[in-house]
Amino acid sequence: MFRVVLYGQWKWSRIIVVLGAIAGFALPILSVQGATGDPASALRPGELLGIVQAWGVLYPVLAAALGLLVAIATWAPDHRGRHVQALSLPLPRWRYVLLRFAAGLVLLVPAMLGVLAGAVLASATATLPAGLETYPVALAIRFALALAVAYAVFFAISAGTTRTAGIILGIIGAVIVVQVVASAAGIELDLTSPVQAVVMNWPGPLAIFTGRWMLIDV
Amino acid sequence: MSERVPAACCAVVLTLCAPLAGQIPKLRARADSLLVEWRQAKQFADLQDSLRLGRERGGRDTIRAGSLTYLVNPSPLPLAQAAAIAWPQVERFYGPAAQAFAQRPFLIQAVDPDTNEDVPPGQAIKILWNTDVAPLARALVAMADLGPLDPGLRDWLGGVVVPRFDSGPAHAAVYVQLVTAPSQAAQRCYRGDPTACRDALSLGAMTDPASQWYGPAERRALVLTQYGDFLRRTNHGLAVRSCEQGSNESCLELLRSLAPGALPQPLDYQARLTFLETAVRVGGAETFQRFLATPAGPMGSRLAAAARVSEDSLVGRWRSDVLAARPTPVPLPVWGAWVALGWIVVFGTCGLRSSRWRVS
Repeated sequence: MFRVVLYGQWKWSRIIVVLGAIAGFALPILSVQGATGDPASALRPGELLGIVQAWGVLYPVLAAALGLLVAIATWAPDHRGRHVQALSLPLPRWRYVLLRFAAGLVLLVPAMLGVLAGAVLASATATLPAGLETYPVALAIRFALALAVAYAVFFAISAGTTRTAGIILGIIGAVIVVQVVASAAGIELDLTSPVQAVVMNWPGPLAIFTGRWMLIDV
Repeated sequence: MSERVPAACCAVVLTLCAPLAGQIPKLRARADSLLVEWRQAKQFADLQDSLRLGRERGGRDTIRAGSLTYLVNPSPLPLAQAAAIAWPQVERFYGPAAQAFAQRPFLIQAVDPDTNEDVPPGQAIKILWNTDVAPLARALVAMADLGPLDPGLRDWLGGVVVPRFDSGPAHAAVYVQLVTAPSQAAQRCYRGDPTACRDALSLGAMTDPASQWYGPAERRALVLTQYGDFLRRTNHGLAVRSCEQGSNESCLELLRSLAPGALPQPLDYQARLTFLETAVRVGGAETFQRFLATPAGPMGSRLAAAARVSEDSLVGRWRSDVLAARPTPVPLPVWGAWVALGWIVVFGTCGLRSSRWRVS
């Protein structure tokens, strides 16, 4: 059963998976272009770290985008067919959803391996100044976790009803509206900062996305 | 003919200077009168300062912790508790030299955090009276600066002396500087060359900083990126072009032509402060007292003498402290992976429990 579900999802999302794997492979290689042995084009350590850090912003963006697209692609045919096919299967809902979730996770593996392969290759070919080191495995593990978290978040939202999505968006909108009104009225009320701290700092769900994503560091 | 020319020149000079020579007594008298005026003005200014200081000090509480004395306006500011925390740290760093604070009371103005009124001007240090004890103690430590007792130290350091020992983050910041500073001296220091460390920290006599701190490529980058516009405006266009085309000599001459102190130092104030801290840690509580007693000279030998070790040994100790404080490169805690896996399970479970089939 799992192979059937996986094959179906692969057909729906293969372009996203292939492009994601290529982007994941290319990103680390592009980020170390200044780390060459040629003195004419080699960057100084500070400049090299700056470039690597600038490229590093793209890792969480790629993870979030891939997680979103694969999660949407996982549920889109079910939504289009009003879940008739799923209801016709001799399966409880929780098992069907679990199969979908697991198949989506498997489809994220090429992108994870792409980042790992790209990072290892980039590390092997880069000529680094004294004091700088490469961290390909740590970067790849972090990317894999961020990708899986993003996929899980968007999978949960996509699996829900329109009403559920509306409630979630309504809560977020209400927080923002209350904050804006309080600011306009001159009331010292800071709702967004605590919410942001809870979500973006450890052990918050999106903390994995924050911080510096460095293939090369001190 | 050749004998007549100097004679003619002397005659011209004497003719031109004769009227000036007559004016010298007048000019001297005017200069003297200006000096009298300046002295009077200075007396008035001193009087005004002393009156203002007296007014500022009037009606203030006196709080003492060791040799630290604070004059503060009545307020709920927890100054006594903070001073009791700050004093042992100040004393541990300065040793007997900390007694100098007994002659230098700190004037503090505790300010109401909710008021919209203007804070009265003056020499007093303004602090909000709702400041907590811990940050206030840190502020008091940072204020305890004995740098003014030694202008050489202050010039070398480039800032105030902060009597602290807990500089793990500062050492980590210096580690990053050693690795990333665009300076040959800093990078050679990182690789273990003590002479380069001395140059990077300006511990010896800096006779030619441009060549002691920077290599040819770094000098060229400095000239072109930082000083290019200024040098072209000051009639050095040809030399800048020559430097741009790869002439090491031109780059060096251009950097040497800059005003003393204009060249950026490879390692900053933080690095020098950690070096001072290392010297005090190695030499013990009386290091600062001994340092103040050493005659003026290169800072490296003075600090080494005060710490009672050789300069090489002190530099080596500082370097090992810095290398030991290497910052954590990947900001993902070990338990972070488990937390992320936990969230994946949580969101996955949310998907399993969704009501899509019940309500469409």
